[in-house]
Amino acid sequence: MRGFFGSLNGPQTLGNGRSFWTCFAAALVVALVYPGFSDPYSVGNVAYLLIFTLMALGLSLMWGYTGMFSFGQTAFFGVAGYSYGVLAINLDASGAMTLFCLLGAIAVAALFAALLGYFLIWGRVSGVFFGIVTFATTLALAAFFGQTAGPEWAIGTARFNGFNGMIGMPPLMLPWVGEEDIVLEGNALYYFVLALVLAIYLGLRALVNSRFGNVLVSIREDPLRAELLGYDVRKYQLASFVIGSSLAALSGVLYTAWGQFIPPASMGLPAAAMPIIWVAFSGRQDLTATLAGTFLLLLAFQTITVYSQQYALILMGFVLLVTVLLVPAGFIIGIGRLLAGFAGRDRAGTRQDVPA
Amino acid sequence: MFAEIFSILYQFADVFAFLILAAAGLAIIFGMMGIINMAHGEFITCGIYVTVICVQQGMPLPLAQAIGALSAGLVGIALERTIIRHLYHRPLDSILATWGISLMVTQGMLLLLGSSWRGIGTPLGSFQVGDYTFSTYRLVLFGAAIGVLAGLYLVFMRTGYGIMARATMQNAEMAQALGVRTQHMYAASFGMGAALAGLCGALYAPTMTLIPTMGITFIIESFVTVVVGGANVLLGTAPAGILLAVVRTALNAWYGQIAGQIGLLIAVIVVIRLLPEGVSGWLSRRER
Amino acid sequence: MAEVGRTVRRVGIFAATTLAMAAWPALAQQPIKVGLLEDVSGDIALMGKPKLNGSQLAAEEINKAGGIMGRKIELLHLDPQMDNARYQEFARRLLQRDKVDVLIGGITSASREAIRPIVNRTDVPYFYTNQYEGGVCDASTISIGAVPEQQFSTLIPWMVEKFGKKVYTIAADYNFGQISAEWTRDLMKKLGGQVVGEEFIPLGVSQFGQTIQNIQRANPDWIMALNVGASQDSFFEQAAAAKLTIPMGSSIKVMLGFEHKRFPPPALAQMHATANWFEEVDTPAAADFKKRWRAKFPNEAYINDMGYNAYTALYMYKTLVEKAKSTKKADLRKVIATGEACIDAPEGKICIDPKSQHTSHHMRLIGVNPDHSVRVIKDFGLIKPYWLGEIGCDLTKKDPKAQYTPTSLPKK
Repeated sequence: MRGFFGSLNGPQTLGNGRSFWTCFAAALVVALVYPGFSDPYSVGNVAYLLIFTLMALGLSLMWGYTGMFSFGQTAFFGVAGYSYGVLAINLDASGAMTLFCLLGAIAVAALFAALLGYFLIWGRVSGVFFGIVTFATTLALAAFFGQTAGPEWAIGTARFNGFNGMIGMPPLMLPWVGEEDIVLEGNALYYFVLALVLAIYLGLRALVNSRFGNVLVSIREDPLRAELLGYDVRKYQLASFVIGSSLAALSGVLYTAWGQFIPPASMGLPAAAMPIIWVAFSGRQDLTATLAGTFLLLLAFQTITVYSQQYALILMGFVLLVTVLLVPAGFIIGIGRLLAGFAGRDRAGTRQDVPA
Repeated sequence: MFAEIFSILYQFADVFAFLILAAAGLAIIFGMMGIINMAHGEFITCGIYVTVICVQQGMPLPLAQAIGALSAGLVGIALERTIIRHLYHRPLDSILATWGISLMVTQGMLLLLGSSWRGIGTPLGSFQVGDYTFSTYRLVLFGAAIGVLAGLYLVFMRTGYGIMARATMQNAEMAQALGVRTQHMYAASFGMGAALAGLCGALYAPTMTLIPTMGITFIIESFVTVVVGGANVLLGTAPAGILLAVVRTALNAWYGQIAGQIGLLIAVIVVIRLLPEGVSGWLSRRER
Repeated sequence: MAEVGRTVRRVGIFAATTLAMAAWPALAQQPIKVGLLEDVSGDIALMGKPKLNGSQLAAEEINKAGGIMGRKIELLHLDPQMDNARYQEFARRLLQRDKVDVLIGGITSASREAIRPIVNRTDVPYFYTNQYEGGVCDASTISIGAVPEQQFSTLIPWMVEKFGKKVYTIAADYNFGQISAEWTRDLMKKLGGQVVGEEFIPLGVSQFGQTIQNIQRANPDWIMALNVGASQDSFFEQAAAAKLTIPMGSSIKVMLGFEHKRFPPPALAQMHATANWFEEVDTPAAADFKKRWRAKFPNEAYINDMGYNAYTALYMYKTLVEKAKSTKKADLRKVIATGEACIDAPEGKICIDPKSQHTSHHMRLIGVNPDHSVRVIKDFGLIKPYWLGEIGCDLTKKDPKAQYTPTSLPKK
């Protein structure tokens, strides 16, 4: 037990002390009992917002920890969503089969990420150029899927259906012993997504605090020095890129299954900019900040849109601008530092913030 | 036959002008200063709307366009002084700030100015070559694109400001030590980038639909051109424009606009893979 | 004792009556919740704002006249900002949290497709109020706008007869454009005409130099203009500047995007379109409607057909509820199945077709003059949405929840 917790803590994550884990446990308990105190709509809505935090965590790993500025999370989000549709519709999936389709779709997206990553990383594309190429990739995919309205654009019985988006795939289902399959909706979906988020968050913490994670950070700080120390930087970058992109793919499948719908617009502008906004807003160099910040920002944007109608975009823009000017390291990290400062044990202070 | 050839050249010039004019402002702000300016489209929109307002007040079009470009430049300087100057040390955060500005401006304009305006019409009429008729104004746009490139060259290579600006971009601390007022250089360069974006809007204003979000139409083309061009505006932007215009014109003509659009994006991916520092990086390395 | 018993009974009856009296107005005051999803920010606010205005005007009028069965209408509007994910979020919010009685809205076909699966899991009817590419055969969806058989089957034969048999189609490269181009192809073939060129343009493209030259090379008698969105509208200005002056036909220009008001003349001269509504309709009922609209929204740039359809949709809903004496989808559909779900709209009398749940419309062919004024060229009268019924969609018998096109017909 101690060894497991030990692996979760380390220099690459903020919040390693007893007080952090106490807060974490409290937050987890709140999340677990939340459906008991809320209405079905709100529970479903929280589950829906959590879906996108996975994509943000992936970007934090790539951008915040490894220094690869990917502007193309949505490409993998979309490719996985369409793959899930193609697999699930053609296999007429139900029950455990839908989970198999989920894994298959992520595998397709991961393969795509590996190819694109190999193409770029071995080509020494880096910095902002990396961002632009991934950006161009997602836009090209959006443009391609946008013109697939004709009946000739189909794989098996699954029609891409152009700009209107692919429809008709089943939701995810869990097989249940001796009973009917549980369709992942409402509370079931909520707990499923919560479990995924928890597992991936803890898994990523362990990853970045491991030797592997230390190498990733050293690459972010100085790729040349990391290389001179004997690491094959490219392999580490590729691994980070594939893991990060696969998390976007997981978000994509969950989103597609949730709404039984995936449109090309999910890969175009402004969708492609959103993960960047969430992660930069939260503080990209920390997983906890990314998770909490992304969720809060999504909730805030949604609430603003519901209640302020035409003024929503103006308010959203204002929030972003103010955050950047007042809290340079990211909103959540800023708040975290403030709290840690009060508590008098600022472990983050030992770490220098270097612009990636 | 002559008409066919002329038509191809005309289309090439048309695409080239669009790429260069859309990219010129961004090339300075993004290419030289490293600021990813998501509000580039809004500077273009600013140029457009100011131009249209001036024309509606009875001004001649060229004067209106000059005022349009100038006001975008002034807005740019004001923005640089209040917001952008805090972001020079963290260029990626400039995405957040400028995107926020972009959201506020487009929606603000929609609320203040309404969802659409009546156009002002394209001047200068048309001419005929063979079976084809062409808009004369489009040649003006091509001329303007060449003019912008030449102007940039002169400003950066032949004026004191140009030398100091280039020194600031290369090594701000050293430039400052040598007596360059780098703050002014940044402000002036940002203002110039904004003015060029405004000029693009002003020039295209007569030919397009007027809605507050129209600046977005230029965004993809401008980023693509700047990135393919690389960090050095003087070396990169013109060849990038030529290269991309050839790709796009050919694909547009033979396979239609969708191929042109996807082809443009794939060209970017391939070019960056082959020349990770863009065309200018490659050219300057060859010179060495 | 008997005396007492009678008194008690009397009191009991009195109390029951009072209770009922108290409960009845309470029930009557319970408003009918109408969920609206219209884009009033972003690129297509141009179209979304009039739609919202239309719903507001209709709700105000209906409430002033006593509501629906004595119940007031309460509009709950959310702005999805053109984002399909937001459409899904907000459709769920309105249906599950706010428990609306009816859902109205959606502009692009993509947004309609995004919310259909969500509406389908509920007992709430959904009104789609745009003209569109047609073919949705879904029991939850009631379509109020015009469809291709009403627009193309009237326009294209007239264009062929008047201008000639060679057409060049430019269309937005997505479902609406491609399916509309398919209709054009089919009808031209039946009429012995020829499509001399067909060009699909990605959404957001604003430069048309090559397209203009392609059209000149193909030398058609007329152009079918199915370009969509503000960027693609720049085609008209650029074509006019290049002196491309060929007659044009369309199913979406003038009445929807009021291009004749947005571009200086003569960019839209020679444009022809068939529509169930355009602001220039000049009947007494239409004039009265326009007067009411302008009184409430004096700054409206143009009362377009989407706004008009949104207005009529609420009246159609009122009629359905009052005839069904219920707000349940199943009960409303029983009224539709009788074929007598009709209202007197500003364009004339319109009815919902039982088989497809689409709406019949009074169609008029309009032409734009060189000074951009609009004239009515031909009045086709009432045209039914017959196509879905002909290809085998019959919602009174079966609910396939699908969208069909001329090349993707239901399996026999």
